Amino acid sequence: MAFYDFVFEKLGLQDWCNAGGTVENAPSSMAALLAQTGVVEERSAIDIPFPSLDELNDSCGAILQSRDVTVGVEEGFLAMKSGLRWFLDPMTQPLSWLLEFALQVAETTPWWIVFLALAIVVYVASRSFKMVAFVISTMAFLAFIDHYDHAMQTLAIIFVCAFLCVLFGVPIGIAMSRSDRLQRFIIPVLDMLQTLPTFVYLIPLIFLFSVTEPKLYGIAIILYAIVPVIRLTNLGIRLVDEDVIEAAHSFGMTSKQKLFGVQIPLALPNIMAGINQTIMMSLAMVVIASLVSAPGLGVLVLRGIRNLELGVGLVSGLGIVLLAIILDRVTKAALGRVNAAQSH
Amino acid sequence: MSDDIKISIRNLYKIFGPDPQSVLQHVLDGTSKTDLLANYNHVLGLQDINIDMKAGDITVVMGLSGSGKSTLIRHLNRLIEPTAGQIDVDGEDVLAYDEHKLRDLRRQVMSMVFQKFALLPHKTVHENAGTTLKVRGVAKKDYLPEAEKWVKRVGLDGFGEHYPHQLSGGMQQRVGIARALTSNSPIMLMDEAFSALDPLIRTDMQDLLLELQQELHKTIVFISHDLDEALKLADHLVILKDGYVVQQGEPQHILLNPNDPYIEDFVSDINRARVLRVRSIMEPIEAGNVPSNLAGDVGENDTLESVIARSDGDTSHTYAVKNNDDIVGVLDMKNLVRALVPREASEAGARNY
Repeated sequence: MAFYDFVFEKLGLQDWCNAGGTVENAPSSMAALLAQTGVVEERSAIDIPFPSLDELNDSCGAILQSRDVTVGVEEGFLAMKSGLRWFLDPMTQPLSWLLEFALQVAETTPWWIVFLALAIVVYVASRSFKMVAFVISTMAFLAFIDHYDHAMQTLAIIFVCAFLCVLFGVPIGIAMSRSDRLQRFIIPVLDMLQTLPTFVYLIPLIFLFSVTEPKLYGIAIILYAIVPVIRLTNLGIRLVDEDVIEAAHSFGMTSKQKLFGVQIPLALPNIMAGINQTIMMSLAMVVIASLVSAPGLGVLVLRGIRNLELGVGLVSGLGIVLLAIILDRVTKAALGRVNAAQSH
Repeated sequence: MSDDIKISIRNLYKIFGPDPQSVLQHVLDGTSKTDLLANYNHVLGLQDINIDMKAGDITVVMGLSGSGKSTLIRHLNRLIEPTAGQIDVDGEDVLAYDEHKLRDLRRQVMSMVFQKFALLPHKTVHENAGTTLKVRGVAKKDYLPEAEKWVKRVGLDGFGEHYPHQLSGGMQQRVGIARALTSNSPIMLMDEAFSALDPLIRTDMQDLLLELQQELHKTIVFISHDLDEALKLADHLVILKDGYVVQQGEPQHILLNPNDPYIEDFVSDINRARVLRVRSIMEPIEAGNVPSNLAGDVGENDTLESVIARSDGDTSHTYAVKNNDDIVGVLDMKNLVRALVPREASEAGARNY
């Protein structure tokens, strides 16, 4: 009846097939269901079907259907879930606390204190009053159109996540730069994190953690944004001038003195470039993470899409662009200062 | 200059490649550099180096690029490990040192100056100069005055708070020298220290080094590819070629008695009048046995150039040679003119250009 029947007949496997179960075609999609009710067309040589699992299953019931594969993956994951949760949950709990705390601070602090604090931070980072004026007027504009709360939520999340990315990413990058073996092991992981579509690793995270917990989007953002800071720390340290390293050896520096006195300071421009990238990627992810209950401007964008509220979506999108410009300019200004101090 | 041997290199071999020990025996049996590369895929870096470096001397190791001179100097503080051989510093075998003692050697006994300066770009001149003390764990308030002293001594007074990128190449190398001096180590290793500098700046730096040496009497190992520089600085000159020592000795002696066509080729292009000194070509005489027809007197360390200037080109005179106030020899102007022509050239006729 099905195309590949003859294969199993030739191989004399009918008994095995029939023993495996009845040839009962449970449809796995609407199309399959329709096809089942319709007339089975005669097939010519032109449309030989690819011997896929479903096609073979039509001929031999002992062979799994494609649907069983996805079901298998799902069951496997669910079986591991409680085990994973058992140590991942407590381990990541501080992330939830941090995010909740940051969001609370962002929401409860009076706006003028926030502006003052922002001005100080921006000045320390960039040493430029022009930059301070730019940042304050941008924030004032967002506040003026009543997007202040959402913008602050977004900033708070980025601040926590980027901070954690640097906290973990820089040491990982340093460790990678010191061991070729570790580098060979970590680079494919980084490649995977960077190429995997962001929605894909939201799925297992949703199953692992409750959607109401902040750490769900926290982890998603960190996994996505930690990559550049690791890569550039590793690269920066590997690119430190060989001559200076040799000089460090010739003066009898210990490897600790070399790391903190020579390698990290000289790699700093690259590390800062990595931090800039990490912050920008956190911003990109925090918008997507609004799908899994991350508060902030992303929520408004999502509302714009869901309810077809064009204005809401576009204005909040503009807000995100403004935040991106602020974050980029300030970190670039800090990077520029580091570069100026080291130019050769 | 005392006769104490500060650094002694004995039978030093360095072979580069995946398994140097396995081919060492072939080298000891006389396999040449070319054969070693062709048959065993190993590069012979240094072969059978034997050099004694006296305390307070400037030993210049000279050779063209690829001759192994930079490899050699890095063996002294073990930035490169030898394949076989022995290196004694103050009578102690450096190669037997463990990590801890080696670090002490690098911190206390040897300091190094680099061709490309290798300063820390994020530190000021004073901080850079103090690096050698800082690595020993000296507190900043203690090493800064010392660093300031040496920065001033190398002629960078007033630049202490500048960053390296704000200085010219010559000034950066002064910082490099100050850094080495701040460590107060008895041995200074200088790896093509002046090669990256303009010719005029280079001359200044050579003068600075000689001036410092007059005062400090360090044991200096200087690497150079420039024969003029080598002859100017060297108390002891070692000429390397393809990883072996072609000739070593007093520079004036090498200049007058080259023992290899390679060296003759080298020395044929330099300004002999400026490099050779009267003491190298005078005829020594017994005290009191002074000839009468002398046209005047010259110092034994005068260059031939200055004597020619004094004689006004007249080759018929003979001068008395004085060391302080004692007459130690006579200098016939004819000998002087003869010494100006390389031996190779006088034997084989003028070189064809």
